[in-house]
Amino acid sequence: MAGDLMLFLPEAACLLMALTLFGLSLPKHQDQRRVHSWAMGLSLLMVAAGLAGLFQEGHLFFEAYRVDLFSQFFKLLLAVALLLVLGICRQLTGVEERYQPEFFLFLTTCTLGMMLMVSAVELMTLYVALELSSFSLYILVPLRSGDNIDVEAGVKYLFIGITASCLMLFGMSYIFGAVHSTYLARIADTLPLWIHQPGAVIGLLLTLSGFFFKLAAFPFHFWAPDVYQGAANQVTTYIATASKAAAVALLIRLTALSAGTSLYLLDVLMVLCVASMTLGNLAAMVQSDLKRMLAYSSVAHAGYALMGVLTMTRLGYSSAMFYTLAYMVMNFAAFMVVVKVASQGQDLKISDLAGLHRRAPLLALTLMLALFSLAGIPPTVGFTGKFLVFAAAMRDGHFWLVLVGMINATLSLYYYLMVIKAAYLTEPAEPQESLAITGPTRALNYALIAAMVALGLFPRQVLELTEKAVRNIF
Amino acid sequence: MNSLHTYLFIALVLFCIGLFGLLKRRSLIGMLISVELMLNAVGLNFMAFNRFLAPDPAVGQVAVLFIMGIAAAEAAIALSLILALFRKIRSINVEQARQLKG
Repeated sequence: MAGDLMLFLPEAACLLMALTLFGLSLPKHQDQRRVHSWAMGLSLLMVAAGLAGLFQEGHLFFEAYRVDLFSQFFKLLLAVALLLVLGICRQLTGVEERYQPEFFLFLTTCTLGMMLMVSAVELMTLYVALELSSFSLYILVPLRSGDNIDVEAGVKYLFIGITASCLMLFGMSYIFGAVHSTYLARIADTLPLWIHQPGAVIGLLLTLSGFFFKLAAFPFHFWAPDVYQGAANQVTTYIATASKAAAVALLIRLTALSAGTSLYLLDVLMVLCVASMTLGNLAAMVQSDLKRMLAYSSVAHAGYALMGVLTMTRLGYSSAMFYTLAYMVMNFAAFMVVVKVASQGQDLKISDLAGLHRRAPLLALTLMLALFSLAGIPPTVGFTGKFLVFAAAMRDGHFWLVLVGMINATLSLYYYLMVIKAAYLTEPAEPQESLAITGPTRALNYALIAAMVALGLFPRQVLELTEKAVRNIF
Repeated sequence: MNSLHTYLFIALVLFCIGLFGLLKRRSLIGMLISVELMLNAVGLNFMAFNRFLAPDPAVGQVAVLFIMGIAAAEAAIALSLILALFRKIRSINVEQARQLKG
Protein backbone atom coordinates (compact mmCIF):
# COMPACT_ATOMS: atom_id res chain seq x y z
CA MET A 1 0.00 0.00 0.00
CA ALA A 2 2.76 2.42 0.98
CA GLY A 3 4.65 1.33 -2.12
CA ASP A 4 1.65 2.11 -4.27
CA LEU A 5 1.41 5.56 -2.78
CA MET A 6 5.08 6.09 -3.60
CA LEU A 7 4.32 5.23 -7.23
CA PHE A 8 1.45 7.67 -7.23
CA LEU A 9 3.33 10.44 -5.42
CA PRO A 10 3.41 13.23 -8.06
CA GLU A 11 -0.26 12.72 -8.92
CA ALA A 12 -1.18 12.57 -5.24
CA ALA A 13 0.59 15.89 -4.66
CA CYS A 14 -1.24 17.35 -7.63
CA LEU A 15 -4.57 16.05 -6.36
CA LEU A 16 -3.88 17.51 -2.94
CA MET A 17 -3.11 20.84 -4.57
CA ALA A 18 -6.31 20.73 -6.60
CA LEU A 19 -8.41 19.94 -3.53
CA THR A 20 -6.80 22.72 -1.49
CA LEU A 21 -7.36 25.23 -4.26
CA PHE A 22 -10.93 24.06 -4.59
CA GLY A 23 -11.41 24.75 -0.88
CA LEU A 24 -9.86 28.18 -1.32
CA SER A 25 -12.15 28.98 -4.23
CA LEU A 26 -15.31 28.49 -2.14
CA PRO A 27 -15.45 31.68 -0.02
CA LYS A 28 -16.91 34.64 -1.81
CA HIS A 29 -14.04 37.02 -1.21
CA GLN A 30 -10.59 35.67 -1.28
CA ASP A 31 -7.30 37.46 -1.08
CA GLN A 32 -5.56 36.78 -4.36
CA ARG A 33 -2.11 37.00 -2.81
CA ARG A 34 -2.99 34.30 -0.32
CA VAL A 35 -4.32 31.92 -2.98
CA HIS A 36 -1.24 32.52 -5.07
CA SER A 37 1.06 31.79 -2.14
CA TRP A 38 -0.77 28.55 -1.44
CA ALA A 39 -0.57 27.58 -5.09
CA MET A 40 3.15 28.33 -5.25
CA GLY A 41 3.87 26.38 -2.07
CA LEU A 42 1.89 23.35 -3.15
CA SER A 43 3.36 23.34 -6.60
CA LEU A 44 6.86 23.42 -5.11
CA LEU A 45 5.77 20.36 -3.15
CA MET A 46 4.64 18.81 -6.40
CA VAL A 47 8.02 19.37 -8.05
CA ALA A 48 9.62 17.76 -4.99
CA ALA A 49 7.23 14.82 -5.33
CA GLY A 50 8.08 14.60 -9.01
CA LEU A 51 11.79 14.45 -8.18
CA ALA A 52 11.23 11.87 -5.45
CA GLY A 53 9.20 9.71 -7.78
CA LEU A 54 11.54 10.01 -10.76
CA PHE A 55 13.01 6.53 -10.59
CA GLN A 56 9.92 4.65 -9.47
CA GLU A 57 8.68 1.75 -11.54
CA GLY A 58 5.55 -0.32 -11.39
CA HIS A 59 1.95 -0.78 -12.38
CA LEU A 60 -1.25 0.48 -10.79
CA PHE A 61 -4.99 0.14 -11.26
CA PHE A 62 -5.21 -3.31 -12.86
CA GLU A 63 -2.23 -2.65 -15.15
CA ALA A 64 -4.02 0.31 -16.74
CA TYR A 65 -1.47 2.71 -15.35
CA ARG A 66 2.24 2.35 -15.81
CA VAL A 67 4.87 4.19 -13.87
CA ASP A 68 8.32 4.17 -15.48
CA LEU A 69 11.14 6.58 -16.15
CA PHE A 70 9.46 7.73 -19.35
CA SER A 71 6.26 8.78 -17.60
CA GLN A 72 8.06 10.15 -14.54
CA PHE A 73 10.32 12.29 -16.71
CA PHE A 74 7.31 13.93 -18.30
CA LYS A 75 5.55 14.28 -14.95
CA LEU A 76 8.53 16.16 -13.57
CA LEU A 77 8.53 18.33 -16.68
CA LEU A 78 4.82 19.08 -16.20
CA ALA A 79 5.26 19.89 -12.52
CA VAL A 80 8.10 22.28 -13.34
CA ALA A 81 6.04 23.87 -16.10
CA LEU A 82 3.16 24.46 -13.68
CA LEU A 83 5.52 25.96 -11.12
CA LEU A 84 7.02 28.29 -13.71
CA VAL A 85 3.63 29.39 -15.00
CA LEU A 86 2.39 30.02 -11.47
CA GLY A 87 5.58 32.00 -10.92
CA ILE A 88 4.47 34.59 -13.46
CA CYS A 89 0.90 34.76 -12.11
CA ARG A 90 1.59 37.05 -9.17
CA GLN A 91 -0.07 39.98 -10.90
CA LEU A 92 -2.93 38.34 -12.70
CA THR A 93 -4.09 41.38 -14.58
CA GLY A 94 -5.60 39.37 -17.40
CA VAL A 95 -8.15 37.53 -15.26
CA GLU A 96 -11.00 38.98 -13.26
CA GLU A 97 -10.35 39.12 -9.55
CA ARG A 98 -13.22 36.87 -8.48
CA TYR A 99 -12.28 34.09 -10.89
CA GLN A 100 -8.66 33.91 -9.83
CA PRO A 101 -8.95 31.00 -7.37
CA GLU A 102 -10.71 29.02 -10.11
CA PHE A 103 -7.96 30.00 -12.51
CA PHE A 104 -5.37 28.32 -10.27
CA LEU A 105 -7.69 25.36 -9.67
CA PHE A 106 -8.16 24.61 -13.36
CA LEU A 107 -4.45 24.99 -14.08
CA THR A 108 -3.89 22.30 -11.47
CA THR A 109 -6.59 19.92 -12.71
CA CYS A 110 -5.21 20.32 -16.20
CA THR A 111 -1.76 19.34 -14.98
CA LEU A 112 -3.29 16.40 -13.12
CA GLY A 113 -5.00 15.26 -16.32
CA MET A 114 -1.76 15.42 -18.26
CA MET A 115 0.15 13.59 -15.55
CA LEU A 116 -2.41 10.79 -15.65
CA MET A 117 -2.23 10.84 -19.43
CA VAL A 118 1.53 10.23 -19.70
CA SER A 119 1.21 7.18 -17.46
CA ALA A 120 -1.93 5.70 -18.99
CA VAL A 121 -1.40 2.49 -20.94
CA GLU A 122 -5.05 1.68 -21.51
CA LEU A 123 -7.21 3.43 -24.08
CA MET A 124 -10.09 4.43 -21.80
CA THR A 125 -7.76 5.71 -19.08
CA LEU A 126 -5.98 7.68 -21.76
CA TYR A 127 -9.23 9.16 -23.01
CA VAL A 128 -10.50 10.17 -19.58
CA ALA A 129 -7.14 11.73 -18.66
CA LEU A 130 -6.98 13.60 -21.96
CA GLU A 131 -10.45 15.01 -21.46
CA LEU A 132 -9.69 16.05 -17.90
CA SER A 133 -6.85 18.19 -19.18
CA SER A 134 -8.73 19.46 -22.25
CA PHE A 135 -11.88 20.41 -20.33
CA SER A 136 -9.85 22.42 -17.84
CA LEU A 137 -8.28 24.33 -20.71
CA TYR A 138 -11.66 24.93 -22.38
CA ILE A 139 -12.69 26.75 -19.21
CA LEU A 140 -9.37 28.55 -18.70
CA VAL A 141 -9.33 30.15 -22.15
CA PRO A 142 -12.53 32.25 -21.75
CA LEU A 143 -11.66 33.35 -18.18
CA ARG A 144 -9.93 36.46 -19.48
CA SER A 145 -11.41 39.77 -18.50
CA GLY A 146 -12.14 42.59 -20.91
CA ASP A 147 -13.27 42.34 -24.51
CA ASN A 148 -15.09 39.33 -25.89
CA ILE A 149 -12.37 37.74 -28.01
CA ASP A 150 -11.69 35.34 -25.14
CA VAL A 151 -15.10 33.64 -25.38
CA GLU A 152 -14.78 33.43 -29.14
CA ALA A 153 -11.38 31.80 -28.76
CA GLY A 154 -12.82 29.48 -26.13
CA VAL A 155 -15.67 28.37 -28.39
CA LYS A 156 -13.29 27.73 -31.29
CA TYR A 157 -10.93 25.78 -29.05
CA LEU A 158 -13.79 23.73 -27.64
CA PHE A 159 -15.30 22.77 -30.97
CA ILE A 160 -12.02 21.89 -32.66
CA GLY A 161 -11.06 19.99 -29.52
CA ILE A 162 -14.19 17.91 -29.27
CA THR A 163 -14.05 17.14 -32.98
CA ALA A 164 -10.50 15.88 -32.55
CA SER A 165 -11.50 13.79 -29.55
CA CYS A 166 -14.46 12.31 -31.50
CA LEU A 167 -12.07 11.28 -34.28
CA MET A 168 -9.73 9.85 -31.68
CA LEU A 169 -12.50 7.81 -30.08
CA PHE A 170 -13.65 6.54 -33.46
CA GLY A 171 -10.10 5.39 -34.11
CA MET A 172 -9.94 3.74 -30.70
CA SER A 173 -13.12 1.82 -31.45
CA TYR A 174 -11.52 0.33 -34.57
CA ILE A 175 -8.42 -0.62 -32.63
CA PHE A 176 -10.67 -2.26 -30.06
CA GLY A 177 -12.36 -4.12 -32.90
CA ALA A 178 -9.04 -5.36 -34.26
CA VAL A 179 -7.42 -6.31 -30.95
CA HIS A 180 -10.48 -6.94 -28.70
CA SER A 181 -8.65 -5.24 -25.88
CA THR A 182 -7.95 -1.71 -24.78
CA TYR A 183 -4.56 -2.38 -23.20
CA LEU A 184 -1.62 -0.93 -25.11
CA ALA A 185 0.60 -3.89 -24.18
CA ARG A 186 -1.90 -6.28 -25.71
CA ILE A 187 -2.23 -4.06 -28.78
CA ALA A 188 1.55 -4.14 -29.27
CA ASP A 189 1.62 -7.95 -28.85
CA THR A 190 -1.00 -8.67 -31.48
CA LEU A 191 0.22 -5.95 -33.79
CA PRO A 192 1.82 -8.11 -36.53
CA LEU A 193 -1.61 -9.71 -37.04
CA TRP A 194 -3.47 -6.52 -37.82
CA ILE A 195 -1.04 -3.82 -38.87
CA HIS A 196 -1.64 -4.58 -42.53
CA GLN A 197 -5.40 -4.24 -42.32
CA PRO A 198 -6.34 -0.80 -43.63
CA GLY A 199 -9.07 -0.41 -40.99
CA ALA A 200 -6.63 -0.83 -38.15
CA VAL A 201 -4.10 1.62 -39.58
CA ILE A 202 -6.89 4.16 -40.03
CA GLY A 203 -7.85 3.46 -36.44
CA LEU A 204 -4.34 4.14 -35.20
CA LEU A 205 -4.07 7.32 -37.24
CA LEU A 206 -7.41 8.63 -36.02
CA THR A 207 -6.33 7.84 -32.47
CA LEU A 208 -3.23 9.94 -33.00
CA SER A 209 -5.34 12.86 -34.19
CA GLY A 210 -6.41 13.65 -30.63
CA PHE A 211 -2.77 14.29 -29.82
CA PHE A 212 -2.07 16.17 -33.04
CA PHE A 213 -4.73 18.54 -31.77
CA LYS A 214 -2.95 18.96 -28.45
CA LEU A 215 0.34 19.50 -30.22
CA ALA A 216 -1.27 21.91 -32.73
CA ALA A 217 0.16 19.94 -35.64
CA PHE A 218 -1.34 20.15 -39.12
CA PRO A 219 -4.32 19.54 -39.78
CA PHE A 220 -5.48 20.37 -36.25
CA HIS A 221 -3.58 23.63 -35.90
CA PHE A 222 -6.42 26.08 -36.64
CA TRP A 223 -7.11 26.76 -33.02
CA ALA A 224 -3.57 27.76 -32.09
CA PRO A 225 -3.39 31.38 -33.31
CA ASP A 226 -6.89 32.29 -32.13
CA VAL A 227 -6.53 30.66 -28.74
CA TYR A 228 -3.03 32.05 -28.17
CA GLN A 229 -4.32 35.53 -28.92
CA GLY A 230 -7.66 35.22 -27.15
CA ALA A 231 -6.57 33.57 -23.92
CA ALA A 232 -4.97 35.45 -21.04
CA ASN A 233 -1.19 35.64 -21.46
CA GLN A 234 -0.53 33.28 -18.56
CA VAL A 235 -2.93 30.68 -19.93
CA THR A 236 -1.28 30.94 -23.33
CA THR A 237 2.06 30.33 -21.67
CA TYR A 238 0.70 27.19 -20.07
CA ILE A 239 -0.86 25.91 -23.28
CA ALA A 240 2.33 26.60 -25.19
CA THR A 241 4.57 24.73 -22.77
CA ALA A 242 3.01 22.02 -20.61
CA SER A 243 0.29 20.93 -22.97
CA LYS A 244 2.83 20.40 -25.79
CA ALA A 245 5.03 18.21 -23.62
CA ALA A 246 2.18 15.84 -22.78
CA ALA A 247 1.17 15.59 -26.43
CA VAL A 248 4.68 14.58 -27.51
CA ALA A 249 4.78 11.96 -24.74
CA LEU A 250 1.59 10.34 -26.00
CA LEU A 251 2.60 10.49 -29.64
CA ILE A 252 5.79 8.65 -28.70
CA ARG A 253 3.90 6.03 -26.71
CA LEU A 254 1.34 5.39 -29.45
CA THR A 255 3.66 5.38 -32.45
CA ALA A 256 6.01 3.06 -30.55
CA LEU A 257 3.21 0.48 -30.71
CA SER A 258 3.74 -0.02 -34.41
CA ALA A 259 7.56 -0.11 -33.99
CA GLY A 260 8.13 1.17 -37.50
CA THR A 261 6.45 -1.76 -39.23
CA SER A 262 3.77 0.28 -40.95
CA LEU A 263 4.79 2.25 -43.99
CA TYR A 264 1.41 3.97 -44.29
CA LEU A 265 1.78 5.40 -40.84
CA LEU A 266 5.27 6.64 -41.65
CA ASP A 267 4.12 8.27 -44.89
CA VAL A 268 1.24 10.06 -43.20
CA LEU A 269 3.44 11.28 -40.36
CA MET A 270 5.98 12.59 -42.86
CA VAL A 271 3.32 14.54 -44.72
CA LEU A 272 2.02 16.03 -41.47
CA CYS A 273 5.55 16.90 -40.36
CA VAL A 274 6.38 18.75 -43.59
CA ALA A 275 2.99 20.47 -43.71
CA SER A 276 3.23 21.64 -40.09
CA MET A 277 6.73 23.05 -40.51
CA THR A 278 6.10 24.82 -43.78
CA LEU A 279 2.65 26.13 -43.02
CA GLY A 280 3.58 27.32 -39.55
CA ASN A 281 6.67 29.18 -40.72
CA LEU A 282 5.04 30.80 -43.73
CA ALA A 283 2.02 31.95 -41.75
CA ALA A 284 4.17 33.27 -38.90
CA MET A 285 5.96 35.67 -41.24
CA VAL A 286 2.96 37.88 -41.86
CA GLN A 287 1.75 38.21 -38.26
CA SER A 288 1.79 41.51 -36.44
CA ASP A 289 0.48 40.21 -33.09
CA LEU A 290 3.32 38.70 -31.09
CA LYS A 291 1.26 35.88 -29.59
CA ARG A 292 -0.19 34.91 -32.98
CA MET A 293 3.31 34.79 -34.38
CA LEU A 294 4.44 32.56 -31.53
CA ALA A 295 1.37 30.38 -32.16
CA TYR A 296 2.33 29.78 -35.78
CA SER A 297 5.91 29.21 -34.72
CA SER A 298 4.60 26.56 -32.31
CA VAL A 299 2.89 24.84 -35.27
CA ALA A 300 6.29 24.77 -36.98
CA HIS A 301 7.94 23.41 -33.85
CA ALA A 302 5.31 20.68 -33.68
CA GLY A 303 6.63 19.66 -37.09
CA TYR A 304 10.23 19.49 -35.82
CA ALA A 305 9.14 17.38 -32.86
CA LEU A 306 7.21 15.07 -35.19
CA MET A 307 10.39 14.54 -37.19
CA GLY A 308 11.97 12.92 -34.17
CA VAL A 309 8.84 10.91 -33.43
CA LEU A 310 8.37 9.54 -36.93
CA THR A 311 11.77 7.85 -37.05
CA MET A 312 10.29 5.43 -34.47
CA THR A 313 13.75 4.56 -33.26
CA ARG A 314 15.13 4.93 -29.75
CA LEU A 315 17.42 7.67 -30.92
CA GLY A 316 14.58 9.56 -32.56
CA TYR A 317 12.35 9.28 -29.52
CA SER A 318 15.00 10.37 -27.08
CA SER A 319 15.88 13.35 -29.26
CA ALA A 320 12.18 14.24 -29.52
CA MET A 321 12.01 14.15 -25.72
CA PHE A 322 15.01 16.42 -25.49
CA TYR A 323 13.47 18.72 -28.05
CA THR A 324 10.30 18.90 -25.97
CA LEU A 325 12.30 19.95 -22.94
CA ALA A 326 14.20 22.50 -25.02
CA TYR A 327 11.00 23.84 -26.51
CA MET A 328 9.45 24.17 -23.09
CA VAL A 329 12.35 26.20 -21.71
CA MET A 330 12.76 28.56 -24.66
CA ASN A 331 9.07 29.05 -25.28
CA PHE A 332 8.47 29.75 -21.61
CA ALA A 333 11.24 32.35 -21.69
CA ALA A 334 9.64 34.08 -24.68
CA PHE A 335 6.19 34.07 -23.11
CA MET A 336 7.52 35.23 -19.77
CA VAL A 337 8.75 38.36 -21.50
CA VAL A 338 5.33 38.79 -23.14
CA VAL A 339 3.61 38.53 -19.75
CA LYS A 340 6.00 41.00 -18.13
CA VAL A 341 5.89 43.56 -20.93
CA ALA A 342 2.09 43.39 -21.20
CA SER A 343 1.71 44.55 -17.62
CA GLN A 344 -2.00 45.32 -18.05
CA GLY A 345 -2.66 41.86 -19.49
CA GLN A 346 -3.20 43.26 -22.98
CA ASP A 347 -2.23 41.70 -26.31
CA LEU A 348 1.14 42.75 -27.63
CA LYS A 349 1.85 43.81 -31.15
CA ILE A 350 5.40 43.17 -32.31
CA SER A 351 5.78 46.94 -32.73
CA ASP A 352 4.91 47.42 -29.03
CA LEU A 353 8.29 45.96 -28.20
CA ALA A 354 10.03 49.02 -29.62
CA GLY A 355 12.73 50.28 -27.32
CA LEU A 356 12.49 47.31 -24.99
CA HIS A 357 16.27 47.17 -24.65
CA ARG A 358 16.11 50.50 -22.87
CA ARG A 359 12.91 49.93 -20.91
CA ALA A 360 14.01 46.57 -19.56
CA PRO A 361 17.45 45.41 -20.71
CA LEU A 362 17.22 42.08 -18.93
CA LEU A 363 13.87 41.17 -20.47
CA ALA A 364 15.17 42.17 -23.89
CA LEU A 365 18.19 39.93 -23.40
CA THR A 366 16.03 36.98 -22.35
CA LEU A 367 13.74 37.55 -25.31
CA MET A 368 16.66 37.69 -27.71
CA LEU A 369 18.16 34.49 -26.37
CA ALA A 370 14.79 32.72 -26.40
CA LEU A 371 14.13 33.72 -30.00
CA PHE A 372 17.64 32.75 -31.11
CA SER A 373 17.03 29.45 -29.40
CA LEU A 374 13.66 29.00 -31.13
CA ALA A 375 15.37 29.76 -34.44
CA GLY A 376 18.06 27.20 -33.64
CA ILE A 377 21.22 29.27 -33.35
CA PRO A 378 24.13 27.87 -31.32
CA PRO A 379 25.05 27.76 -28.46
CA THR A 380 21.44 27.68 -27.28
CA VAL A 381 19.32 24.71 -26.32
CA GLY A 382 17.16 25.15 -29.41
CA PHE A 383 20.15 24.48 -31.64
CA THR A 384 21.10 21.33 -29.76
CA GLY A 385 17.51 20.07 -29.84
CA LYS A 386 17.14 20.67 -33.55
CA PHE A 387 20.53 19.16 -34.25
CA LEU A 388 19.64 15.98 -32.36
CA VAL A 389 16.28 15.62 -34.07
CA PHE A 390 17.72 16.23 -37.53
CA ALA A 391 20.60 13.85 -36.85
CA ALA A 392 18.19 11.12 -35.75
CA ALA A 393 16.07 11.60 -38.88
CA MET A 394 19.22 11.60 -41.04
CA ARG A 395 20.45 8.33 -39.56
CA ASP A 396 17.09 6.81 -40.37
CA GLY A 397 17.53 7.86 -44.01
CA HIS A 398 15.07 10.76 -44.25
CA PHE A 399 17.39 13.06 -46.16
CA TRP A 400 14.62 15.07 -47.85
CA LEU A 401 12.79 15.57 -44.62
CA VAL A 402 15.90 17.00 -42.99
CA LEU A 403 16.48 19.25 -45.99
CA VAL A 404 12.94 20.64 -45.73
CA GLY A 405 13.51 21.09 -42.01
CA MET A 406 16.71 23.03 -42.63
CA ILE A 407 15.04 25.31 -45.16
CA ASN A 408 12.26 25.89 -42.68
CA ALA A 409 14.66 26.70 -39.88
CA THR A 410 16.21 29.34 -42.13
CA LEU A 411 12.79 30.76 -43.00
CA SER A 412 11.89 30.99 -39.35
CA LEU A 413 14.97 33.11 -38.67
CA TYR A 414 13.31 35.94 -40.60
CA TYR A 415 10.37 36.49 -38.29
CA TYR A 416 12.31 35.87 -35.10
CA LEU A 417 14.82 38.49 -36.19
CA MET A 418 11.97 40.91 -36.91
CA VAL A 419 11.00 40.71 -33.26
CA ILE A 420 14.57 41.15 -32.10
CA LYS A 421 14.88 44.12 -34.44
CA ALA A 422 11.76 45.66 -32.89
CA ALA A 423 13.13 45.13 -29.40
CA TYR A 424 16.66 46.35 -30.02
CA LEU A 425 16.82 48.69 -33.00
CA THR A 426 13.44 50.39 -33.36
CA GLU A 427 12.84 53.46 -31.26
CA PRO A 428 9.34 53.91 -29.85
CA ALA A 429 7.17 56.68 -31.33
CA GLU A 430 6.73 58.26 -27.91
CA PRO A 431 9.10 57.69 -25.02
CA GLN A 432 7.87 55.03 -22.60
CA GLU A 433 8.79 54.61 -18.99
CA SER A 434 11.01 51.71 -18.10
CA LEU A 435 9.50 48.52 -16.71
CA ALA A 436 9.98 47.74 -13.07
CA ILE A 437 11.48 44.30 -12.57
CA THR A 438 11.17 42.71 -9.16
CA GLY A 439 13.82 40.54 -7.53
CA PRO A 440 12.13 37.17 -8.20
CA THR A 441 11.59 38.10 -11.86
CA ARG A 442 15.25 39.00 -12.16
CA ALA A 443 16.22 35.64 -10.68
CA LEU A 444 13.83 33.84 -13.03
CA ASN A 445 15.37 35.64 -15.98
CA TYR A 446 18.90 34.67 -14.98
CA ALA A 447 17.78 31.09 -14.39
CA LEU A 448 16.16 30.85 -17.81
CA ILE A 449 19.16 32.36 -19.57
CA ALA A 450 21.44 29.95 -17.72
CA ALA A 451 19.18 27.00 -18.55
CA MET A 452 19.01 27.87 -22.25
CA VAL A 453 22.78 28.13 -22.57
CA ALA A 454 23.74 25.32 -20.19
CA LEU A 455 21.37 22.78 -21.74
CA GLY A 456 22.61 23.83 -25.15
CA LEU A 457 26.27 23.32 -24.31
CA PHE A 458 26.02 20.33 -21.98
CA PRO A 459 23.03 18.21 -23.00
CA ARG A 460 24.72 14.94 -22.02
CA GLN A 461 23.12 14.35 -18.62
CA VAL A 462 19.62 15.00 -19.86
CA LEU A 463 20.21 12.93 -22.97
CA GLU A 464 21.35 9.96 -20.92
CA LEU A 465 18.16 10.28 -18.91
CA THR A 466 15.93 10.44 -22.00
CA GLU A 467 17.73 7.50 -23.61
CA LYS A 468 17.17 5.45 -20.48
CA ALA A 469 13.54 6.54 -20.39
CA VAL A 470 12.90 5.52 -23.99
CA ARG A 471 14.14 1.99 -23.28
CA ASN A 472 11.02 1.51 -21.16
CA ILE A 473 8.51 1.97 -23.93
CA PHE A 474 9.64 -0.69 -26.38
CA MET B 1 -23.14 -9.13 -45.06
CA ASN B 2 -23.29 -10.39 -41.50
CA SER B 3 -24.82 -8.41 -38.70
CA LEU B 4 -21.50 -7.02 -37.35
CA HIS B 5 -20.96 -5.29 -40.65
CA THR B 6 -24.47 -3.88 -40.52
CA TYR B 7 -23.76 -2.26 -37.18
CA LEU B 8 -20.39 -0.94 -38.29
CA PHE B 9 -21.94 0.49 -41.42
CA ILE B 10 -24.68 2.24 -39.45
CA ALA B 11 -22.09 3.65 -37.05
CA LEU B 12 -19.98 4.91 -39.94
CA VAL B 13 -23.00 6.58 -41.54
CA LEU B 14 -23.92 8.16 -38.22
CA PHE B 15 -20.36 9.40 -37.79
CA CYS B 16 -20.26 10.89 -41.27
CA ILE B 17 -23.62 12.60 -40.76
CA GLY B 18 -22.23 14.11 -37.57
CA LEU B 19 -19.03 15.26 -39.27
CA PHE B 20 -20.99 16.72 -42.17
CA GLY B 21 -23.33 18.54 -39.79
CA LEU B 22 -20.40 19.90 -37.83
CA LEU B 23 -18.85 21.39 -40.94
CA LYS B 24 -22.12 22.55 -42.46
CA ARG B 25 -24.01 24.00 -39.49
CA ARG B 26 -23.39 27.61 -38.54
CA SER B 27 -25.34 27.53 -35.31
CA LEU B 28 -23.33 26.41 -32.31
CA ILE B 29 -26.21 24.34 -30.93
CA GLY B 30 -26.47 22.52 -34.25
CA MET B 31 -22.73 21.84 -34.12
CA LEU B 32 -23.04 20.49 -30.61
CA ILE B 33 -25.81 18.11 -31.68
CA SER B 34 -23.60 16.92 -34.55
CA VAL B 35 -20.80 16.18 -32.10
CA GLU B 36 -23.21 14.13 -29.99
CA LEU B 37 -24.10 12.12 -33.11
CA MET B 38 -20.44 11.37 -33.68
CA LEU B 39 -19.99 10.26 -30.09
CA ASN B 40 -22.98 7.97 -30.35
CA ALA B 41 -21.52 6.44 -33.49
CA VAL B 42 -18.41 5.63 -31.47
CA GLY B 43 -20.55 4.08 -28.76
CA LEU B 44 -22.34 1.93 -31.31
CA ASN B 45 -19.01 0.79 -32.72
CA PHE B 46 -17.74 -0.22 -29.31
CA MET B 47 -20.93 -2.13 -28.51
CA ALA B 48 -20.95 -3.93 -31.86
CA PHE B 49 -17.32 -5.05 -31.56
CA ASN B 50 -17.97 -6.01 -27.99
CA ARG B 51 -21.04 -8.09 -28.80
CA PHE B 52 -19.63 -9.96 -31.80
CA LEU B 53 -15.89 -10.21 -31.27
CA ALA B 54 -14.57 -9.48 -27.81
CA PRO B 55 -13.93 -12.38 -25.45
CA ASP B 56 -14.64 -10.27 -22.38
CA PRO B 57 -18.11 -8.78 -22.76
CA ALA B 58 -17.63 -6.05 -20.14
CA VAL B 59 -14.90 -3.93 -21.74
CA GLY B 60 -16.95 -2.36 -24.51
CA GLN B 61 -19.84 -1.61 -22.19
CA VAL B 62 -17.56 0.13 -19.73
CA ALA B 63 -16.07 2.11 -22.58
CA VAL B 64 -19.52 3.23 -23.71
CA LEU B 65 -20.47 4.26 -20.17
CA PHE B 66 -17.34 6.38 -19.91
CA ILE B 67 -18.01 7.98 -23.27
CA MET B 68 -21.56 8.83 -22.25
CA GLY B 69 -20.43 10.32 -18.96
CA ILE B 70 -17.76 12.45 -20.55
CA ALA B 71 -20.12 13.52 -23.35
CA ALA B 72 -22.45 14.90 -20.68
CA ALA B 73 -19.65 16.94 -19.12
CA GLU B 74 -18.66 18.13 -22.54
CA ALA B 75 -22.19 19.26 -23.33
CA ALA B 76 -22.31 21.18 -20.05
CA ILE B 77 -19.10 23.05 -20.83
CA ALA B 78 -20.13 23.68 -24.43
CA LEU B 79 -23.56 25.04 -23.43
CA SER B 80 -22.07 27.33 -20.79
CA LEU B 81 -19.60 28.71 -23.32
CA ILE B 82 -22.36 29.18 -25.88
CA LEU B 83 -24.35 31.06 -23.26
CA ALA B 84 -21.35 33.26 -22.44
CA LEU B 85 -20.89 34.00 -26.13
CA PHE B 86 -24.58 34.83 -26.52
CA ARG B 87 -24.38 37.32 -23.66
CA LYS B 88 -21.54 39.10 -25.38
CA ILE B 89 -22.45 39.15 -29.04
CA ARG B 90 -26.20 38.38 -28.88
CA SER B 91 -25.87 35.53 -31.33
CA ILE B 92 -24.84 31.88 -31.40
CA ASN B 93 -23.96 31.91 -35.07
CA VAL B 94 -20.28 31.21 -35.67
CA GLU B 95 -20.30 33.63 -38.61
CA GLN B 96 -20.91 36.45 -36.13
CA ALA B 97 -17.91 35.53 -34.03
CA ARG B 98 -15.05 36.61 -36.19
CA GLN B 99 -12.89 39.10 -34.41
CA LEU B 100 -9.91 36.80 -34.40
CA LYS B 101 -8.27 36.66 -37.78
CA GLY B 102 -4.93 36.46 -39.47
